[in-house]
Amino acid sequence: MQIQAKDIQVVLNANRILKGVSMEAGDRELVGVIGPNGSGKSTLLKCIYRILKPIGGAVWLDGKQLQDHTTKESARKLAVVAQHNYYNFDFSVQDVVLMGRAPHKRTLDRDNAEDFRIVAEALETVGMAAFANRSFSTLSGGEQQRVILARALAQQTPCLILDEPTNHLDVKFQLQLMDLVRGLDRTVLTAVHDLNIAAMYCDRLYALKDGEIVGQGTPRELLMPSFIQQVYEVDADVLTLPGGAPHIVFHPNVGKESAT
Amino acid sequence: MDLKNGIFHGKPVWWITMILLLAALIVSLLWAVTIGSVDIQMSDVYRVLLYKTFGIGDGARYGSGSMSDIVWFVRLPRLVLAIGVGTALAISGAVMQAVVKNPLADPYTLGLSSGASLGATLAILLGVGSFLGSGYVGIVAFLGAFLVSLAVVALANVGGRATSVKLILAGTALSSICGAVSNFVLYVLNSSTGAVEAVARWTLGSLAGAKWETNLWMLLVALTGTLFLWTQHRTLNLMLLGDDNAITLGTDLHRWRILYLLVSALMVGFAVYTAGIIGFVGLIIPHVVRMLFGTDHKKLLPISALLGAIFLLWADVLCRVLLPGKELPIGVLTSLVGAPVFIYLMARKRYGFGGGD
Repeated sequence: MQIQAKDIQVVLNANRILKGVSMEAGDRELVGVIGPNGSGKSTLLKCIYRILKPIGGAVWLDGKQLQDHTTKESARKLAVVAQHNYYNFDFSVQDVVLMGRAPHKRTLDRDNAEDFRIVAEALETVGMAAFANRSFSTLSGGEQQRVILARALAQQTPCLILDEPTNHLDVKFQLQLMDLVRGLDRTVLTAVHDLNIAAMYCDRLYALKDGEIVGQGTPRELLMPSFIQQVYEVDADVLTLPGGAPHIVFHPNVGKESAT
Repeated sequence: MDLKNGIFHGKPVWWITMILLLAALIVSLLWAVTIGSVDIQMSDVYRVLLYKTFGIGDGARYGSGSMSDIVWFVRLPRLVLAIGVGTALAISGAVMQAVVKNPLADPYTLGLSSGASLGATLAILLGVGSFLGSGYVGIVAFLGAFLVSLAVVALANVGGRATSVKLILAGTALSSICGAVSNFVLYVLNSSTGAVEAVARWTLGSLAGAKWETNLWMLLVALTGTLFLWTQHRTLNLMLLGDDNAITLGTDLHRWRILYLLVSALMVGFAVYTAGIIGFVGLIIPHVVRMLFGTDHKKLLPISALLGAIFLLWADVLCRVLLPGKELPIGVLTSLVGAPVFIYLMARKRYGFGGGD
């Protein structure tokens, strides 16, 4: 599935968060959005998954404008794994994943054997099958995010959006999640905090700074030391890993000061 | 892997539980109808019921007279009312907990009961809304409950998003206001004719005023409300995840929230109109069911409805027999049981009282 965003503008509390951002993700492409904190990565994604309504610009899913989709229709095209999931109530893991089937259901439809099969399969994929009857709130942060990923998989959408789901989580889980996502063969749009993870996994990157796109391209094209200095205001060297992916090594500030 | 395993998560268990609870409700009804201050033989009780419902038996002996009247016009309506009110309170409690995303919500803690009580007082004593027809007291009570529920949610959202603390405080404040106004009206307009008893009846709850005509309304509202909300189980589940999650799962919660508050207020309005304020039922029952069967509303709602009915039925029986020669107001009993449950829920850290949402 293709996603296109054109000239997205967002104003929150009189601050212009996005100043006309355009981007697109092609079919089965893994596209990353990078940029420093507050650059508007998450805001851009939220416009695409309908939590925020931009004051200007529009989003198209496979050529059809987002606002012409019902909420249910867009939930059958886009599934989301977001930053934080904290519930006041205690659901079982299976209950949580089963909610991924909601966009496919009408009011009086029952959950059938097919739904339970899809749920079981999704839990299997994220390696949480043994936890189906556990209570969601007793899981660790990484386990919870895997369950939320399973819920997104159970939605059976052609596109997946990851809104920094790995924040505050161990690097092991970040790698696990990205490995999983890359193997899915779906269009994936993800905000990435860690440049090395972006370099390792993404087909293409968009760099945001102060609400504007300041660069785009493959990780190899985009992640140059001068570019990193411009966007993140830090010095770095870019090495090349045996597989060809760039690897960024940051210079500590202390060293820089003593050198000058 | 068999997803249907697990002590209380498998489907058959909750179906069997529902059948058992339904059977328990019928047995409770038939048993409780034999209990009362007037000593009537059990066999006579059933003969009266048999004659009245199916026309079978000795009409002269069981169709009229004091024994027949006690069973048919005093005991049975009261039990039937308990079933209707218990169902309405348990369901509206469960639904309001989903609507405000907080396990401490209930018609009593959020002030809906007081709003309904104010509406009913105004309707009965001042004739407010009498143009609405025979069921107008119930309708005005519903309007009172609904307006208070909207006001509580609005008040709790002033200056930032609603938290548990703000919701409960807003509920308490509005509840006090409504209570004060309705008590004021009761005293001013009713000073000669036992205002104190009237106030006590409203604020402490009593099923003693049960009549068949109002019972039918109560049952109708409780049953249709419950069935409607049961069909909404998926949306109710999504409500507990919050607006953002729900949108990505295909449901915009905004209008549903108002609709569910409306239906809850309708049930609470009629419950208060027929039985006064009975607190904490909507808190205890859904919570117990959640502990046993989990949070999924598909199971939570029907089981809560049945359990609420059984609970209130026996609570009423207990109120009649606990003090010899006297009747304990049922609201006193439910508060004695319910307030500790409330405190327990408040103290449990997992529910994030006042914390994140």
